[in-house]
Amino acid sequence: MKNIAKLSIICFLVIVSSSCRHDFLDIKPRGQLTSENFFETEEHAIWATNAVYQHLRDWDVHVFYFLGLTDMASDDAYKGSEPGDAVQLNDLINYTFDPNHPAFISIWRGYYRGIYRANLAIKNIPDIDDMDPDLRDRLVAECKLIRAYFYFNIVRWFGDVPLILEPLDPDEYFQARIPESEVYEQIIQDLKDAEAVLPLKSRYGANDIGRATKGAAQGLLAKVYLTIGDWMNAEQYARAVVNSGEYNLWPRYNEIFLPSGEHNSESLWEVGAMAVLSAAGVNNPGSSAYNQVQGVRGIPNLGWGFNQPSDELIANYEPGDPRRGATIMGPGDVLPDGSAVIQNNPNMVNERYNRKAWVPPHVGFQENGPGNIRLLRYADVLLILAEALNEQGNAGEALTYINMVRERARGSNNFILRDLTEMNPSELRPMIWRERRSELGMEHHRWFDLKRTDQLRIIMEELKTLVRPNGQPKFPNLQFDESKHYRFPIPQQEIDLSGGLMTQNPGY
Amino acid sequence: MTKTLQRICFLIALCASGALLQAQVTVSGQLIDAQDSLPLIGANVMVKNSTTGTLTDFDGKFSLEVRNLDATLIISYIGYNAQEVPIAGRSFLNLSLSQASNQLDEIVVVGFGTQRKSDVTGSVSSVKSEDLRKIPTADFTQALQGKVAGLEVIGSGVAGGSGQLQLRGPGTFGLDVGNGAGPIYVVDGLMLDDPGNLSANEIESVEVLKDGAAVAIYGSRGANGVVLITTKRGMNSEKTTFNLNTNFGMQSVAQRIDLVGPRDYAILANEAAMNQGLPLLFSDIDDIGEGTDWQDVIFREAPMYTVNLSARGGTDRYTYYISGEAFRQDGIVQADNYERYTLRINNDYKLTSFMKIGHNLAFNYDSRQSPPGNIIFNAYGADPTVTARDENGVWGNTSMRSNVGNPLAQLEFNTNNRNRRFRALGNVYGEVFVTPDIMVRSSMAFDWQNFQSYSFTPEFFVTPQQQNEESSIFFSNGNFSDWQWETTVNYNKAIGRHRFGGVLGYLSQSQESQSIFASRFGLIGTTDELLFLTAGTEDGASGQNLGQFFRYISYVGRVNYTFDDKYILSASFRRDGSSKFGRNNRFGNFPAISGAWRLSEEDFMRNLNIFDNFKIRAGYGVTGNDRIDYRSIFAVVNNGLFAVFGRNPSDMLNFGATITGVANPFLQWEETRSTNIGLEMGYLNNRLIMELDFYINRTDNVLVRVPIPAYVGSSQDPNLNAANIENRGIEWNINWRDKIGKVFYSVGAIGTTLRNRVISLGDNKEEILGGGTSAGLATRTVVDGEIGAFWGYQTIGVYQNEGDLANFPNIGNVQVGDLIFADIDGDGIITPEDRTFIGSPLPRLMYGFNASIEYAGFDMSIDFYGVWGTQILNAKKMARFFGVPNFETSFLDRWTGEGTSDTEPRVTNGGYPNFEVSDRFIEDASYFRVRSFVIGYNLSRVLSDKVGLDNLRIAFSLINPITWTPYTGYSPEIGGSPIARGIDGGAYPVPRTWTVGVNATF
Repeated sequence: MKNIAKLSIICFLVIVSSSCRHDFLDIKPRGQLTSENFFETEEHAIWATNAVYQHLRDWDVHVFYFLGLTDMASDDAYKGSEPGDAVQLNDLINYTFDPNHPAFISIWRGYYRGIYRANLAIKNIPDIDDMDPDLRDRLVAECKLIRAYFYFNIVRWFGDVPLILEPLDPDEYFQARIPESEVYEQIIQDLKDAEAVLPLKSRYGANDIGRATKGAAQGLLAKVYLTIGDWMNAEQYARAVVNSGEYNLWPRYNEIFLPSGEHNSESLWEVGAMAVLSAAGVNNPGSSAYNQVQGVRGIPNLGWGFNQPSDELIANYEPGDPRRGATIMGPGDVLPDGSAVIQNNPNMVNERYNRKAWVPPHVGFQENGPGNIRLLRYADVLLILAEALNEQGNAGEALTYINMVRERARGSNNFILRDLTEMNPSELRPMIWRERRSELGMEHHRWFDLKRTDQLRIIMEELKTLVRPNGQPKFPNLQFDESKHYRFPIPQQEIDLSGGLMTQNPGY
Repeated sequence: MTKTLQRICFLIALCASGALLQAQVTVSGQLIDAQDSLPLIGANVMVKNSTTGTLTDFDGKFSLEVRNLDATLIISYIGYNAQEVPIAGRSFLNLSLSQASNQLDEIVVVGFGTQRKSDVTGSVSSVKSEDLRKIPTADFTQALQGKVAGLEVIGSGVAGGSGQLQLRGPGTFGLDVGNGAGPIYVVDGLMLDDPGNLSANEIESVEVLKDGAAVAIYGSRGANGVVLITTKRGMNSEKTTFNLNTNFGMQSVAQRIDLVGPRDYAILANEAAMNQGLPLLFSDIDDIGEGTDWQDVIFREAPMYTVNLSARGGTDRYTYYISGEAFRQDGIVQADNYERYTLRINNDYKLTSFMKIGHNLAFNYDSRQSPPGNIIFNAYGADPTVTARDENGVWGNTSMRSNVGNPLAQLEFNTNNRNRRFRALGNVYGEVFVTPDIMVRSSMAFDWQNFQSYSFTPEFFVTPQQQNEESSIFFSNGNFSDWQWETTVNYNKAIGRHRFGGVLGYLSQSQESQSIFASRFGLIGTTDELLFLTAGTEDGASGQNLGQFFRYISYVGRVNYTFDDKYILSASFRRDGSSKFGRNNRFGNFPAISGAWRLSEEDFMRNLNIFDNFKIRAGYGVTGNDRIDYRSIFAVVNNGLFAVFGRNPSDMLNFGATITGVANPFLQWEETRSTNIGLEMGYLNNRLIMELDFYINRTDNVLVRVPIPAYVGSSQDPNLNAANIENRGIEWNINWRDKIGKVFYSVGAIGTTLRNRVISLGDNKEEILGGGTSAGLATRTVVDGEIGAFWGYQTIGVYQNEGDLANFPNIGNVQVGDLIFADIDGDGIITPEDRTFIGSPLPRLMYGFNASIEYAGFDMSIDFYGVWGTQILNAKKMARFFGVPNFETSFLDRWTGEGTSDTEPRVTNGGYPNFEVSDRFIEDASYFRVRSFVIGYNLSRVLSDKVGLDNLRIAFSLINPITWTPYTGYSPEIGGSPIARGIDGGAYPVPRTWTVGVNATF
C-alpha cells in the first residue's frame, strides 16, 4: 500500500514535470510588432512612411525650441508669454546660451529621430517584394524628401553635422561631423532622387494631399541652391515650379492661414494636422502643439503666447501692408474667424501673437492643435526666383516675380504696395529681402534668411544700438558675437557621447 | 555532540583492531520530539563505541543489533540536542530529543532547505520576527534598516511605502527596475520581485543570503542577494494560542526645510529681476501680506495603526496558523493614505506516516490614495507671498512669478485617485519520504494579483497655468499571474563521522501580466458613483491594453558533506533558462563551492580554552541578474504614429507605425563572481559572539542602458552587456549577551564598509552619464570610479569685483557676484571640460549599535544607525529655470557687493553659472540616528492570568526620533537607480514616529 502510494506520486511528478515542451521559453513580446516581423508587407511600408510624416509634428522638430531658433533668434520675435515663463528662451534671443542649453539637444534629438525613421524606411522598403513597385518607389522618395528637409534645417543651424544615411549598427555609434558642403551634396542628391519619382501635386488623390510632391522637391531644391549661392540652379528649380502650372498665388493672403486655406493652390508643402481626441489608444493622434505654444494667452484662446512678433517686424511692413494685420494680432483685435475679440492679459508685456498660428476652437485641449504647419509656399518660391535672377543681374525679370507677390498682397487696394521698378540689382537686393520678410513673417524663415544673406551680424549690431524712450538700451543683454553665433553650438552631451570624434563649433 | 564524535573516532580505531563479532541482541525503540511527541524521522541512532548504527523510520522507530544490553546509544538529529542513552537492559526504549536552543545549533533557512547554523558555509544573516515587529511599518523591508550587516535600506516616508534595499553595493546599473539594484525575495519558496503587502506580524524569520556560495542556487536572479522569508506556522501538538497585537502611532516631519518668508522672498525676487535686467516683481516690498507657509499647507501629523489577530497550534496530524490584520497609515503629506487587510492561513496535514501536504495561503487587499507627485517640490518652490486661498474662496496665483502651481489647489483638485490591489499568493506542497533518507517535495506556488486604479480630475480653474478645462478620468485595471512549480529530492545521510546532504530539483516558472488603461473626458458628474468610464463622453475616449510574459526553467543541485563536525564542504549548481533572452544566450550556469573549518573542534584550539566557537569559512559562487526590459532584444514597432493627409475639413488620420528604438539581440545576464571569507567566533561561554566577513563581488557583463548619441536617432538608449563592476567590503556583527542577577542585557554592533569600483565600461566607452537635473546630467561613471558619482563644476569663490572677472578664467557671460568655477583643465577658460567629480552618493560605511536590557517584566532597547561618507545633490535648489520659485534661507547669505560672500553668489534665475551642477549643491548626507527606542512591560503571568491572558505586553516606541545630519533637506535618505542616486528633487520625508502597542496572548 505504502509503496503503491509512493510510486504513483513519483510517476505523477516525473510525467508532469517532463511535460513542459522544449519551446517553453519561446515567447514573443505581446501586443506588438517587432523588428522580427516588420517591413514585410505593403501596409508596413505605408505605415513606416506615415510615421516619418508624423514626426514633422513633433515638439522637438517644429514646436517649441524650433520657434526659438528661427523667429526668436532673429529680429522677428521676442519670447512672449509672461516674463517669468520659460526664461531660458531669453538666452536664444540674447545669444547667451552655452552648449548645455536645452534648445540644442531638443532640436538635435528631434531632427535625428526623424532622420532615423526616414533611414529605416529608405533602407527597408526597397526589400519588400510583395508590393506595388510604383508605390514602393514613391514611398522611398517621400522619405528622401523629408530626410533632406531635416538635414537642410540642421545644417543651417549647426554647420557640419554627422551625416547618417542608414540606421547605425552599435559599432558605428561614434560619428564625426561631416563638412557642410558634403551634407548639402547629400541633401541635393536626396531631393533630386525624390524629384525624379514623386508625382505632381495634382496627381495625388484627395486623401493623399499633404504627401511630398515633385513640386515640393523642386521648391526645396531651389531653396537649397539659393542657400549655397548657386543662383543658376536656384533659378532653374524655381522656374520648374513656376512652369509646372501646378501652383498659383491664393488671391487673399489672410486666408492662407485659416483652416480653409490648408493645402491651397500656393501650398507646395505643409505638415498636416487635425484635432481628433483619440485613436488606437493614442491621445490627440493628429495634433501638434504648434498652435498652443503660440496661441492667445488668456481669454478667449488659452494658448501659451510664445513667439511674440517684434517691434522690428512691425516696422518692416510698408505703410498699409495688409500682411501686417494678417501676421500679427493683439488685444482688441478680432480673431481671424470673427468669433471674438482678444482681451488684454495684464500679465503680459507688449501682448502680441502670431496670427498665422491661430486656430479656431476645436475638440480637445489646446495641445490638440489642428493647424497645418506651412513649410513651403509658392510665394516663397517666387521670391527665391526673383532673388536668384537678381543675383545673376537680371533685375528686370526678378521684378516680374516680386511684383506678383506684391500684387496679391495688396488685393484690391491699389494705393499700397505699388509695383517695384528698381532695375539696379544691388538696389533691388534689399528690397527682395524686405519683401521676403513681409511676405513670410512669422513663418520661421527669418533666421535662415539672415544667415544666408549674411545680414545676421548687421541686424544684431543694430539691435544692440536700439534704445528705449527712457534712454536705456532696448536689448541690454544681447551678446551676439559674429565670430561664433552664425552656428549654434553642438549639444554638449552629443560631443561627450561621440567617442571624441565630434568637435564643438568655434567660440563655444 | 563533539564528544560523541570523538568517542566514535576512538571506537572506529578499536573496532578496526579487533572486530570480534559475538552473539548479538536486538534492541528497538521509538524516538519522538520531546515537545510535540511526534516521531522524528531519519534520526541517527548509533551504538557507542561501535560502528553500528541506524536511522529511525517514519514512525520514529528503529531497531539494531548490539553485543549486549549494557551498551549505550547515541541519538542525534539535526536541530536537536544529541543524547547518550544507556540501554540498561531494556529491549525497547522510548526516547525523546529536545530541540537545540543553543545559537550555534539554530536552524537557518537556506535555499531549498535548512541547515544547522554550525554547518553553514556561506554568508547568511537571520532576522527574527521580534526584531522586525519593533518597527511598525507597512512593509517589513523598512524594519530591516540596521539589522543586517551589508544590507543598506533607504527608508521611505510614503504611506505604505517600502524601503529600497541594496546588498553589498551596487553590482548593476539596474536601470529598468523600480527598486534599483535590490535583492530578490523568496517567500516560502516563491521567487518574487515585489514582496509588498507582507506584514511583519506574519513573518517567522528573514534570512538574507549574501554571498555567491549561498545565493548561487538562485542562479540568474540572485546576483543582488536573496531575502528569504519564512512565514509562521503552527507546531504539532501545540495548544492553540491566540495573539492580539495592536499598535497606534503618530508620524510627523522630523526636519523642515528653512525657506524664506514673504518679505525675504520679495527682496530676493526683486534682486534676481534686477540682476537679470528684468522689471521688478514687487514694487513695494513693505506691502506684502502674510502670505503662506506652504509646508504647513501640505504636511500634517499622521496616524498609523495595526490590529493583528492570529491563532496557531496543532494536533498530532495537522498544524495551523491563521492570521488576520488590518493596517492603516496616513502619510505626513495631505491626501497620502494607505490601508491594507491581510489574511493568512498556513496549514500542514500529515496524511500518512511518510507523507505530508500543506499550504501557505495569503490574501491581501490594499488601497492607496496618492498626493500629487510634485507637491513636495511645489510646496518648496511656491510663491510665499501668495495667500493660499482668500476668504472669498479665490485661489492664490502662485504661477505669477514662477511656474509652480498652488499646492492647496492641487490638494483640492488633484487628489481624487485610488490604487487598489488584491493579491493572493502562496503555495501548496507535498512531501513524501521515499526512504527515511530521501524526501521528495513538490510545491506549486502562485502569485495572483489584480490591480485597479483610477484618477479623476474635475474641471477647475486656478490660473491659466493651473487649470483643467474638461473633467477627466484615467482608469486602469490589470492582472498579474505567476506560478512556479518546483520539485526537489532531498537526501540526508550520516555514516559514522560523515554526514551527507543533497538536493536535486527542477523548477519552472511563468509570469504573465496584462493591463488595460483607458480614459474619458467630460464626465457627467463628479460624485463617486459617477467616476466610471461610461460617465464620460465618447470624444477623446482612449483605451490601451498591454501585456507581458516571461518564463523560466531551472535545474538545481547541491551537495553538502561534513566530516567529524569539523570540516564542511558544500557545492551547488544551477542551470537557468529564461525567455527574456535570445536563443543564443538563453541558458546560463551558476556554480558555487564553499567550505568551512571549525577550529574550535580541534584539540589544539580546545586546549587553549578561549573559544567556544571558532569557524573559518570561505566560498565562491557565480550568480546572475536578469532584471531588464525583456523586449530589449527586439526593436519594438511603435504604433499610433498617425500622419494627417487630405484637405480640411475632410483631412484624415493615416495610421503610421515604425521602429523608434534600437535593439540588442545579443543581450545576456549580468554575472557576479563572489568571493567571501568569514570568521565566526564565540568566547566566554558564547556570551560574546563575533562574526566577520570579507567579500569581493565582481560583476561582469553588466547591462547598461548606455546613453548613445542622439544622432543615432533612437527614442531610447539601448541595453548593452558592457561593464564590469567590483564591490568589496568588510562586515562585522558583534554581540554581548549576559545577565547580572535578574537583569538580562545585551549590546551589539554591526557594520559594513563598501568600496565600489567600476572596472570597465566596455570597449571604447569612457563614461556613463546619468542623473537628470534642470541643468543636465549630474552623474558620471568612469572606469576606476564609483557608480553614479556626482559630476559638475568645482566652485572656488565668487567674483568680487571686475578685477576677479579679469583674473579668473570664465566663459564670458558671467558678472560680478557669480560663482567662480575652477579651471580644471587649465586652458584659461571655463568650459564643460572643467567639470570634475564633486561627490558620491554611495556610503563608505554603514553601521549600527544596539542595546537592550530586561528586568522583571520591563524591557528597553535602543538601536542606532548611521551612514558615513555619502553626499546628496540638492537638485530642488537648482531647479530655477522657470521664473522665481521660493528660496531656501541659505540664499539670504548671497553676494551683494564686494566682500559680502565668497560662497553664495548673487541671486539670479536659473542658468549658467550659478545653477549649473556644481559643488554648491552637493551636501554631506552622512547621518547618525536613533533608529528606534522601545520600552515595554510584560505583565506578570499572575496578573494577566486574572484577566485570562497568558501574557500581556505594553510597549511604547519611538522610530527615528533623532537624526543628526548636516543635510538640509527633509531626510538624508534619497534612493534612485545606481547611476541616478542621491538626487533630491523634492523627495518625500522619512517621518519621525511614536507608537504605543499592546500585545496579548491567550
